[in-house]
Amino acid sequence: MKILIIGSGISGLAAAIASADMGNHVVLVSPYPSERAQSVMAAGGINAAVGTAGEDDSYVHHAMDTIKGGCYLENEDDVRQFCERAPENLRWLEQMGVVFNRKEDGAISLRAFGGQSRKRTAYAGASTGKQIVTALVQKCREYEIDGRIQRRLGLHFYSGLIRDGVCYGALFCQYFTGVLQAIYADAVILATGGQNKLFGKTTGSELCDGYAAGRLFSQGVQLRNLEFIQYHPTTIETDYKRMLITEGARGEGGRLYYLDGEKRVYFMEDKYGPKGNLMSRDIVSRCIYDCPSQVYLDISFLGEKLIHERLEEVYQLCKDYIGLDVTKEPIPVAPSIHFFMGGIRVDRNHRTNILRLYAVGECASKYHGANRLGGNSLMAAVYSGRVAAEAIHREEAVKVRVENFASYIEQEEALLNRIKESRSQFPSVYILRNLAEIMNDNLGITRNRKGLSEGLEAMDLYLNVMKSIKFDHTVSLYENYRIDSMLLLAKAILCSAMAREETRGAHIREDFPETKEAFQKCSVAELVDGQIQINFEAESCEKESAWYENSDKKTG
Amino acid sequence: MKIRIKRQDEPETAPYWQTFDFFGKGRKTVAGILDEINYRDDLIDENGVPSRRIRWECSCMQKMCGGCAMVINGIPALACGTFVDTTEEELLVLEPLTKFPVVSDLVTDRSCILEHQKAALMYLGEKSAENEKEFANRYSAAKCIKCGLCLEVCPNYVGGEGRFYGAVLANEAYLLYTSSENRKKAIAKEYRRHFAAGCSKSLACRDICPMKLPTLSSIGYLNRTRL
Repeated sequence: MKILIIGSGISGLAAAIASADMGNHVVLVSPYPSERAQSVMAAGGINAAVGTAGEDDSYVHHAMDTIKGGCYLENEDDVRQFCERAPENLRWLEQMGVVFNRKEDGAISLRAFGGQSRKRTAYAGASTGKQIVTALVQKCREYEIDGRIQRRLGLHFYSGLIRDGVCYGALFCQYFTGVLQAIYADAVILATGGQNKLFGKTTGSELCDGYAAGRLFSQGVQLRNLEFIQYHPTTIETDYKRMLITEGARGEGGRLYYLDGEKRVYFMEDKYGPKGNLMSRDIVSRCIYDCPSQVYLDISFLGEKLIHERLEEVYQLCKDYIGLDVTKEPIPVAPSIHFFMGGIRVDRNHRTNILRLYAVGECASKYHGANRLGGNSLMAAVYSGRVAAEAIHREEAVKVRVENFASYIEQEEALLNRIKESRSQFPSVYILRNLAEIMNDNLGITRNRKGLSEGLEAMDLYLNVMKSIKFDHTVSLYENYRIDSMLLLAKAILCSAMAREETRGAHIREDFPETKEAFQKCSVAELVDGQIQINFEAESCEKESAWYENSDKKTG
Repeated sequence: MKIRIKRQDEPETAPYWQTFDFFGKGRKTVAGILDEINYRDDLIDENGVPSRRIRWECSCMQKMCGGCAMVINGIPALACGTFVDTTEEELLVLEPLTKFPVVSDLVTDRSCILEHQKAALMYLGEKSAENEKEFANRYSAAKCIKCGLCLEVCPNYVGGEGRFYGAVLANEAYLLYTSSENRKKAIAKEYRRHFAAGCSKSLACRDICPMKLPTLSSIGYLNRTRL
């Protein structure tokens, strides 16, 4: 079977390796090598209830924390399966040589992370994502050498090759020539990451622009829970972007405070007790947002030895970019956009609503509900990649007749050529800058109807303007053709945020401050006859279910 | 300040120089400056000529991805890790790396780094028991961002076609050697062939590395295993 995987970060690599392990032929496509993927920026750790911290942990506790942290939106069974397989996935990574921190007895070290009842976050210093990427790239290389995986660099996603609800492959644009190239496959796995670029500068990669999700949305792919956007509580301001201070800093004991005159007010501990600094990210971000003055994160008291051993990257980052010595001074922090809980709607096997099209990693919406727990995204990337690969392998029997896309490709090529021959007075960066401004202004930590309406109005205006805007010759073809789909995705996010008239997790509505049972559902966005429709559909997740009650008893 | 950039429209076209005015304030990274220039509504050079936006590769903007390696005022470095004082410096000169084919402007094709790793069969095989003694160096070696700066400054590295693959291979070989159960011999052999046989020990690779990889330790460790 031939499997096309788009995106080569952790989820794409995991899917590629797992597919190749099962004897399938993989084509792994990305514009840049894996070393540039946002995965390398993941810092603090990866969750698995391996119980090496001397605490009575199990996947049941992990699942409970995940569901509770996500505000009861996710399907219990799916989350349970994700957590049940987490220890095995951690071993999978170990066997590939990931350099995890270890205890003296050789067992994997665990650190505390936000919103978790027990220490279950395995880590590799403060560069866990990078360490995992290195090992997966090496494993992938082994399969590239023996021909099971074929890597294709320099190709930007253009569109899915989709007809009558079935995906046959994808179309890519070569960076320079602008020539469209079709790659056909028996199944397609999308692993294209989040949507940072819609917001301009975030903690993540410049390359994650949401284009693929937006384009596929226009081709009939459903999106889910787009309104849930994670603000990471502790980021630092630099001239160019906001940079992340890993949750690991608080996991190791770091404390948040603001100054009331001379007095330090440890507001999280005052409100939530000694573990207050490690509440889930939605709660910490909201509390920081409500503070009367600048909030600081202090890790200096942890001592130089611990900082250099376990948080060296935090030390270097602050030293290099804000000239601050974290072993001596507190770090001024503020929340900033970090992760997208929403994305492409998938089932437990990571199938989308289009046959033979799968989505994994951050571009898929699964497990995290209204708020993701730190350490769950890396595990979800590994798990989803493997699960999709296994499902495709199992479902080999789903054969469909080969479709001919030649006329579609010709049509798209002609369209691109017409655009290329035209000239625009509007620079594409101008539109992107305005898009980011609209998104940041109206989808902040708190939202309201007025702001969202204004955002939607502005987005409609730009979507209309785009119809008459032609080619901006000062940037690449990709930077031209991506804008339409980015705007469409942005509009779908605003529509989803507008439709959820309640406050839940990372979605805080000033005009609807209560959490409503009627909204204990996932929002599903779909494009019908050119109009964005938002429906709410429940996953089976009952707070009062027998499983949950029993687990509660178990944990005391 | 003035920013002088060596530009090239396409891989096969001739390079040319273009200078832009930049009115910044204080200490900025080169990546920040490029970003600001590109995000102006109109990009006009010092002679008022409207220009194509500057192409450079960038993902993380914070020394984690290696995309933005280029030659800055004559010294190869990461644009996001190089600070300049925009009020004091008069001229900033940016060029693409010289040992890799130019794709456009400051973007180079460094895919040979990945091809070399493949050609030298750099993979783990079966994993050995944990080698705690080497933990710190292995952790550092695994942080290689494949930016190519070590190759750019290496007097022995002549480009994609040669047999010498440079420090990027030595670090990878060390990392794999120290954690492989069944491929130690093969890895050491490839290391000798594609690194040790061609290294004249200038150690420019160690000094230039933005990730401060323990290249010298990696080389020393693998050289000792030869005995």
